[in-house]
Amino acid sequence: MLSSLRTGIKGLWRVPARSLQTSSVLQHDSLFVHRDTPEDNVNTPFEFSEANKKRIDALLAIYPEGHKRGAMIPILDLAQRQNGGWLPLSAMHKVAEILNLPRMRVYEVATFYTMFIRRPVGKYHLQVCTTTPCWLRGSDAILKAIVEDTKCEVGGNSPCGKFSVSEVECLGACVNAPMLQVNDDYYEDLTVEDTKEIIAKFKKDEKPVPGPRSGRYASEPLGGLTSLTEPPTGPGFGVQDCFKA
Amino acid sequence: MSIVKILGLDKVASFFNIIRQNGGIRGSLYKLYRQDELKDGTLVGEDKFGNKYFENPRYFYGRNRWVEYSDNYNMNYDGSQVPAEWFGWLHYKSDLPPHKDPARPNYPWMAEFTENLSGTTGQYTPYTTTRPKVEPWVPERKSTV
Amino acid sequence: MLRQPLCRALALSSPARAVPLASRSYSNPVPAEPEKVEVFINDKPVYVAPGTTVLQAAAQVGVEIPRFCYHERLAVAGNCRMCLVEVERSPKPVAACAMPVMKGMRVKTDSDLTRKAREGVMEFLLVNHPLDCPICDQGGECDLQDQSMAFGSDRSRFTDVHFSGKRAVEDKDIGPLIKTIMTRCIHCTRCIRFASEVAGVDDFGTTGRGTDMQVGTYVEKMLLSELSGNVIDLCPVGALTSKPYSFAARPWETRRIDSVDVLDPLGSNIVVTTRTNEVLRILPRTNEEINEEWLSDKSRFACDGLKRQRLVTPMMTDSRGNLMPVDWEDAIVAAARALRDCPPNKLLAVAGDMADAESLVALKDLVNRLGSENTCTEQYFPLDGAGIDLRSSYLCNTKIANVEDADFVLLIGTNVRFEAPLLNARIRKAYVHKDTDVALIGPKVDLTYDYMHVGDSASVVKISPRGPEGSALLAYTQELACKLQDKLQDKEWKVLNVLQRTASQVAALDLGYQPGVGKALQDGPKVVYLLGADSGVVSRDQLPKDAFVIYQGHHGDAGAAMADVVLPGAAYTEKRATFVNAEGRAQQTLVAVAPPGMAREDWKIIRALSEVIGERLPYDNLDEVRDRLSEISPALVAYGDVQENNYFAQARALAQSLQKPVSGKLDVQLKHLEDFFMTDTISRASPTMAKCIQAVLKQKDSPY
Repeated sequence: MLSSLRTGIKGLWRVPARSLQTSSVLQHDSLFVHRDTPEDNVNTPFEFSEANKKRIDALLAIYPEGHKRGAMIPILDLAQRQNGGWLPLSAMHKVAEILNLPRMRVYEVATFYTMFIRRPVGKYHLQVCTTTPCWLRGSDAILKAIVEDTKCEVGGNSPCGKFSVSEVECLGACVNAPMLQVNDDYYEDLTVEDTKEIIAKFKKDEKPVPGPRSGRYASEPLGGLTSLTEPPTGPGFGVQDCFKA
Repeated sequence: MSIVKILGLDKVASFFNIIRQNGGIRGSLYKLYRQDELKDGTLVGEDKFGNKYFENPRYFYGRNRWVEYSDNYNMNYDGSQVPAEWFGWLHYKSDLPPHKDPARPNYPWMAEFTENLSGTTGQYTPYTTTRPKVEPWVPERKSTV
Repeated sequence: MLRQPLCRALALSSPARAVPLASRSYSNPVPAEPEKVEVFINDKPVYVAPGTTVLQAAAQVGVEIPRFCYHERLAVAGNCRMCLVEVERSPKPVAACAMPVMKGMRVKTDSDLTRKAREGVMEFLLVNHPLDCPICDQGGECDLQDQSMAFGSDRSRFTDVHFSGKRAVEDKDIGPLIKTIMTRCIHCTRCIRFASEVAGVDDFGTTGRGTDMQVGTYVEKMLLSELSGNVIDLCPVGALTSKPYSFAARPWETRRIDSVDVLDPLGSNIVVTTRTNEVLRILPRTNEEINEEWLSDKSRFACDGLKRQRLVTPMMTDSRGNLMPVDWEDAIVAAARALRDCPPNKLLAVAGDMADAESLVALKDLVNRLGSENTCTEQYFPLDGAGIDLRSSYLCNTKIANVEDADFVLLIGTNVRFEAPLLNARIRKAYVHKDTDVALIGPKVDLTYDYMHVGDSASVVKISPRGPEGSALLAYTQELACKLQDKLQDKEWKVLNVLQRTASQVAALDLGYQPGVGKALQDGPKVVYLLGADSGVVSRDQLPKDAFVIYQGHHGDAGAAMADVVLPGAAYTEKRATFVNAEGRAQQTLVAVAPPGMAREDWKIIRALSEVIGERLPYDNLDEVRDRLSEISPALVAYGDVQENNYFAQARALAQSLQKPVSGKLDVQLKHLEDFFMTDTISRASPTMAKCIQAVLKQKDSPY
């Protein structure tokens, strides 16, 4: 009924002009080829800090000779953290140089994992989970609030440069849905107000307390425990009398 | 029917008439040699190449209009030397010869009539527009002369 | 065992060649052959070595399992899933290419489960494969096309009712040879594995994942390899196609003629694809003993040079010194007069790098009949000591295929990567799979694998055959080789290998040509007969002013430009001719197209010339020329065979007579990839090769 109504209304518009058919974009929101940009090109300066160099040595020491490439993901992660949350091309080249690998092997890893971000991001990278449990608990509203507050489109950076917003798949905090990850911290059990408050704090460069906003400690039931409320029973509980010593 | 016709003297008269019109015995022999026939007729006109066009309704339809090619062509005459404007009259498309037909268009852009030049140096030779499969080597010229 | 190609065993079937392989023993002896395992393919029992994959076992009983990602010369990837087969007592179908056989395994390649699995895989592949077969260059030789006909479902459930479209991937620019249409890619990763395993350039990879996975280089980068063209053959779909051949022809409208490549000394086997008397492309032909199934880029793509800068008509200089087209008669008479009137000691014949054995023998016979012994080749080779008297001193004695079995390779004064790319691929294969050590004496070059660089000074070996101390260098190399041979357990193994750099050199040396023109030029020849000699070692400045130069060849280059008479010959695709490769294997090319214009087969020109001179050569057809060849050396007409050469000790004995000091630096001509593409008249005339050089230079400037 509703659909036929919609078709009818559409039909009204379609009478004079030929409708233009466009296919939806079957594509990931990030690009899997490199494009030179002013921020990200082969000449972007990147050098590991002294502290990170020590960490790299320690990481490399874990892996036996001939298998040093196993350290690629931790080193890439170090590079990303050092570079403010994203991986420039020059950092990948650096990692390839450290591991003595062809650059392509590093590109492959860096593009495979979605947590390696290959575009410049803001200081606070807001990742909103929109997978089913969070979505059922209202992640759409959270995302809308974030987009409005930060003036930042999904997959883009805010005009102030401080925020980046991404829509991500399940981050494993379904019990505390809906949730938001800002850099390394989870903000859970969100409402729209909570979200606005969190963003307001980040705008002032304050760090809100991570964790559930509902007053829960972790993922326990909201209204107190419903099971395991008594102290655990002692030995011999439920054992037949004849077996009791 | 006159006695002349009965005796066939009109044939004799027209024979002499034909001889006379074709320039006497020598002229007639030459034309017979060149054109394989002798005819008498009225000169309808002459084109700019010197070809003369005759008509004689005494001959049956289809043979009563003919062209005598200009003497410039000698024995090398052929049908393509009849210009387009006379072609129509000669082939009974029109009874008006070109100089008596005011309706004929005559624009300045119309090309000069040319005869068929096949077999001569002036013939049209088509050229290929595809690239040759093999490009030959062209030696560098040591002297410019 | 997993990668042992079946055809290798077949190629070694003749007992004469199988014995040395079997009796060879290495420092660490090969463990005893493990017991064979019995498996059943469609209830047919077959005994295979343990470690064999199901797919290979099936191939042994003639059951072809469809595959996309599996390639017998590349590592197993197992990602296309096309080779799924049912194995009894296995809950799921298994990938035959990656599954090693187990005892008593019962494989069903034609069961309902197998067929359903194949149809399912095919359906998934086709969901994102564009239906552009009519405009796809792979059409007609496409694995996906063939296998979807053979193994795919006869109907599709793919209905794009939401117009969501198929996956679209942007095309990559990887150079002037390979055209990429990445939307067609089915992610078999053969090209990636080829680039990293065989070619040794790790520039290809997969980026992204899932439905967004792409095969490519991530950054804009040309595939800098001399073997890059092989990914075109490897690609099972039309994602990587040949750029020069794009939209040129369909496979069913072409004729394919088996031939032999002459642009490098290995004599790779090729298939020349022609249509309407035009060479369209050149593909490799499998020959396990030479090129496996690869082909170098120059051999593959220089064929458009066969259509440019060709000599199509005889030419003579006119009174002003300009070369003008003339008739055969005039040119032959002029050349014959010059040859006849020339004093024998002032006559010089120089053979170039693509001369075939037939024309070489005809020219030598003609020059000898005129009383001269001055027949030379352009390439230098030392004459002192054993020199060219013993065949073993100028051949790749080990044979190309056996390089894979070497434990140690010492390269002296060569950049084998560009002088013989497929030999380098063999060395790389040994380096990768057998941990062969490689050392190099000579300038430091990129060989695509690691090697020990011993220096570039000739005195390191005390032994290398270029430069003034060539003979001493060869002598020392022979000495070294003999010493090493004495230490080997396997007395059949040949240590000394000489890699000639041109396709004609071995045949010319077999026929008794003198290598190098240095001495002959000093004598001031009056008449010089250049048989395709274009490399510039003979130039007008070196000749007396009144010297008469006859050039016979197929391309207008340095040789033709300096000639007084030009006789147009046939290129290697246009004649049936014999070429002997670096290991001494005689092979013949076949006529793929007719010589252009008035050009003729080379030996026929010399034969005609001899008749006009009055010194008629005693052969009238190709068989008689080949009889003459076999009179000189039966090896020249033993097509496809290599004769064993064993006079190493004698060569050493001869070499010991000269004890010259060795000094000087070793150098190679082809150091970088851009040097590789244009080395002879055909590749110099090729626009594709010119584009390659441009692209390589551009890539070198690029930061990636």
